[in-house]
Amino acid sequence: MDTSKVTEIKTSFTEQITDVADEKQLNDVRVTFLGKKGHVNGLMKEMKNLSPEDKPVWGNEVNALRNYILETIESIGTKLNEEKLNRQLAEETLDVTLPGRTVSVGSPHPLSRIVEEIEDFFIGLGYEVAEGYEVETDYYNFELLNLPKSHPARDMQDSFYINDELLLRTHTSPVQARVMKSKDGKGPVKIICPGKVYRRDSDDATHSHQFTQIEGLVVDKNVRMSDLKGTLESFAKEVFGDAHDIRLRPSYFPFTEPSVEVDISCFKCNGDGCNICKGSGWIEILGAGMVHPNVLEMCGFDSNEYSGFAFGMGPDRIAMLKYGIEDIRHFYTNDLRFISQFKQTEDGGHVDASL
Amino acid sequence: MLVSKEWLKTFIDVDADTKTLAEKITRGGIEVDDIIDYTDSIKSLVVGYVESVQKHPEADKLSVCQVNVGEHTQQIICGAPNVRQDSYVVVVLPGGRLPGGVKIKKAKLRGEESHGMICSLDELGIHSDYVPQEFSDGIFIFQNEQIPGDDALEALLLDDQVLEFDLTPNRKDALSMIGAAYEVRALFGGEVNEPEVKIDRKADGSITPVTVSNEDLEASPFYAAQSVENVTIGPSPYWMQIRLIKSGIRPINNVVDISNYVLLEYGQPLHMFDRDKIGSDTITTRYARDGEVMTTLDEKERKLQPTDIVVTNGTEPIALAGVMGGNFSEVSDATTNVIIESAVFNKVSVRKTSNRLNVRSEASSRFEKGVSHVFVLKALNRAAYLLQEYAGGTVVGDVISDGALDLEDSEIVISTEFINNRLGMDLSDEDVKESLNRLGLGVTDEGETLKIAIPSRRDDLTIKEDIIEEVARIYGYDNLKSTLPEYSKITPGRLTDSQKKTRVIRRQLNAIGFNETINYALTSDKESRQFTHRTQALGLLMPMSEERKVLRNSLVPHLLKNVTYNLNRQQKNVVLYEIGRVFEFIDAQSQPNEIDMLAGVMTGVVGQTEWLGNGTPADFYYAKGVVESVFDKLGLTEHVTYKQEELYDELHPGRTAAIYLDENFIGYIGEVHPKYAQDHDLNRTVVFEITLRDVLNIQTRTIAYEILPKYPSITRDIALVVDVEVTAHTLDEIIRKSAKKYLVDVFVFDVYEGEHVEAGKKSVAIRLKYLNREETLTDEQVEAVHTPILAALEENGALLRS
Repeated sequence: MDTSKVTEIKTSFTEQITDVADEKQLNDVRVTFLGKKGHVNGLMKEMKNLSPEDKPVWGNEVNALRNYILETIESIGTKLNEEKLNRQLAEETLDVTLPGRTVSVGSPHPLSRIVEEIEDFFIGLGYEVAEGYEVETDYYNFELLNLPKSHPARDMQDSFYINDELLLRTHTSPVQARVMKSKDGKGPVKIICPGKVYRRDSDDATHSHQFTQIEGLVVDKNVRMSDLKGTLESFAKEVFGDAHDIRLRPSYFPFTEPSVEVDISCFKCNGDGCNICKGSGWIEILGAGMVHPNVLEMCGFDSNEYSGFAFGMGPDRIAMLKYGIEDIRHFYTNDLRFISQFKQTEDGGHVDASL
Repeated sequence: MLVSKEWLKTFIDVDADTKTLAEKITRGGIEVDDIIDYTDSIKSLVVGYVESVQKHPEADKLSVCQVNVGEHTQQIICGAPNVRQDSYVVVVLPGGRLPGGVKIKKAKLRGEESHGMICSLDELGIHSDYVPQEFSDGIFIFQNEQIPGDDALEALLLDDQVLEFDLTPNRKDALSMIGAAYEVRALFGGEVNEPEVKIDRKADGSITPVTVSNEDLEASPFYAAQSVENVTIGPSPYWMQIRLIKSGIRPINNVVDISNYVLLEYGQPLHMFDRDKIGSDTITTRYARDGEVMTTLDEKERKLQPTDIVVTNGTEPIALAGVMGGNFSEVSDATTNVIIESAVFNKVSVRKTSNRLNVRSEASSRFEKGVSHVFVLKALNRAAYLLQEYAGGTVVGDVISDGALDLEDSEIVISTEFINNRLGMDLSDEDVKESLNRLGLGVTDEGETLKIAIPSRRDDLTIKEDIIEEVARIYGYDNLKSTLPEYSKITPGRLTDSQKKTRVIRRQLNAIGFNETINYALTSDKESRQFTHRTQALGLLMPMSEERKVLRNSLVPHLLKNVTYNLNRQQKNVVLYEIGRVFEFIDAQSQPNEIDMLAGVMTGVVGQTEWLGNGTPADFYYAKGVVESVFDKLGLTEHVTYKQEELYDELHPGRTAAIYLDENFIGYIGEVHPKYAQDHDLNRTVVFEITLRDVLNIQTRTIAYEILPKYPSITRDIALVVDVEVTAHTLDEIIRKSAKKYLVDVFVFDVYEGEHVEAGKKSVAIRLKYLNREETLTDEQVEAVHTPILAALEENGALLRS
């Protein structure tokens, strides 16, 4: 038995396999040696010419060769695959510093942001959000709010009248009057009323004929002025930050008695005095007071049994103070360079309370 | 109201420093807006005695003065024409300072040494509007002898700070020095001294006394007059002049100044008539006659109305009551006999008159708030006394008056418990009494209740709540506790469904790149008729401009203006939306229908990545996708259909989809008409506007969960050739109508016109998805449903392509 043929084929395989550079060549080699008509099968066919005692020996030799070739091809195949993958990865490398595909993000209007934030705070305190007409009757806008026709604050020049009885509301207070009237004299009333309001002003940096207002109203048995103070104190801390205090100063509004102006410690200097607060350390942000008994009575509540507080503020002014916006007209010009500055989230300085 | 501290101290002894005074008054409810400090940036100001004045040898307009400044006499060069020998003047010494950063140094003026400067009132920081005529072109000269070297600020009564009160409309009681003093008393304690009155009254004079009558007690409930004879017109005393100046009133002459001075003391406006020019011996007040004409002292002819009140001489007006005197009866330099008027006029009338004529004065602003009856006669007597003292006048006869003053204290009954309940405080009876006493209110303890007596100077206090406020502000809001309400019933805080959904829409649009805007509700006539079928808009009675004349009918015109505005500022891609109201005109007398709308505009490219050079054009289909995403979010997709319609002139007729929610038209998506775009400097722009109210009114309730299908779905594609006019919606409808069961989805996945398709036709490829939730669908089952669909399509003119 001559096994030199086996050795020859092995040598031939070793020669051919070293030249293999890609999968196709590897496959060619595989077919040449292991295919149906390949060299290894050729060797097997020679078995029939051998003596019975040589057959197993030959078979072992050829099988050893087959296994050797198989293993070699497999390991080279693996290596080739790895190389190919590495090449692919190298080719696919990106400049990750180029900008990503633009996914446009729009901005809420800064006034909407402020209004929502305030709404959410009061919802947390059990208030509902009430909305009303922007074109109101004189009765709801003024008379029910203790501003009879002869009242000095009621100059036709100051409001946008449509006719003697209709006007663009000058505050959101008529919403409060309407809600109170709808309650049949029974409390509690807990509402926050945001909305657009109108005054007959010429537009300039600090005046706008249309602006935004939020008013709040609570009416129930035994509502006290200290409740107003506590409510506004927690409001100030929520919306402006825990470091902020409020103070009440006596003031006058026809629809509240007692009436107060509410100052908050300055956003910028927090009380030390700066140009924003004109050195006083305080900024006026709210008007408030206990609902005038005339208003309660006119809106169907017994003013001996029921009492209430009301407050009002201007989101335009709050936004201007908070962000240092210099011109109120920006809110209504809708310049994208302005609006898009109010896209981001903000931190209120409230640290996560969970463990 | 300007309150000089120096003057205030003549009414009440208060030793708080100015800052504390201002702070406490502010916290007490009268905002001190500003403190004017007359000592500010003034240094080394002394009284000087001018010993001699000589012409400057080198300059005509300059004088060389020898001035005694106390310890010695020094030479000062002065340029004022009124400098004179033997006068007392104000000198700034070398090293001294004046307002405006002026520093005084020893200097040589045209060769002559000058050691300091003689001052004018302007140079001391007094606004030229208030400087008396006498000193308006020159230096100030004291009326009386002074001690050279004394502190001139003190001698000038300018060692002083003036508090500027910003009074709320209810605090007319503080529109006077005496009112300010009562407020200071309430805050600091002490007693209020009233100004001196010692009249040396003569029973008879040389002139016939006037009679006084009020024709209408509503116009003038009380009118009083006092005759003062033989006055000599001249300057008023310096202290009076400077206090007027510090109060923002220019001194004129003694008679006019006294009238203004007493007005400031008591808050009671007075009027001085020249007795000899009244033209009769009677003074009658009445409402003006319609069309009556008078000339006021500013020589303007005024056409009167029946709401104006006039003071007449029985026939013609001699004054427009509370507002302005008449031209022929006013005090002049030649006046010798004076009638002082002190009256109460109807406040509403005075306000109307002064508003209509646009004349606002110290007098009218007090009359229109209502004067305190208690001071009407006090002021009259005080003025008579001052005329006697400082104008050499003789007070003749008693006060002549008609009508009655209401001098009774009013009463409010309240309990400490009520006060505590409303404030959330724990005040004792004593605390309450103490606060009210300090305000000068009378308090009588009646067991359970307190009876409060309100003097007429505080007639703004009318109800219990007014007393609560007074107690609270004197006691101090800082002492108020902070509590939260204890409600009689628990009710949750929440948004309504519509409010929640509106927020969802906002978030959704923000998330896909839309920026929120807020526009004005007022617009022009022209814009009110654009992008709407409404032809009428509710208009204002007195618009301020053509641009803001009527209420808007659509949000779109202003949004498009926003686009133009942004394009003009180098923004290429503008994507905006607004949620706001439009106002549907019903009739000129009625409140309009206020309808919440959602509108959006898009121009340019969405998602532009510059280095990739791509992005999605903001076209009709993008806008439609946006609108669909909103309906999807709201769970309304099934309810919404789109139809091509020609809606408004401002829209591209072939690129506008009317949106229907069930059967109702709720808005549109459309491309702006090329003509409109051109006229408004717009590029291709798409808009949508939807009646939000209708959308929010649909209740979608909770999400209906469906168990996930256990069996696979089967899809079938159909290729059709149809007329180009046939819409996807039509095909969709045919398919859905003819599908008996299993069909769960239908969508177009290709549309083609052009080569290989006959002109006027298009090829449409549609994918149908079938699903049986109960078991696996067999081909036979699908065919049984699919074949009738194909037949229906063919019946409707579609050509099936194999």
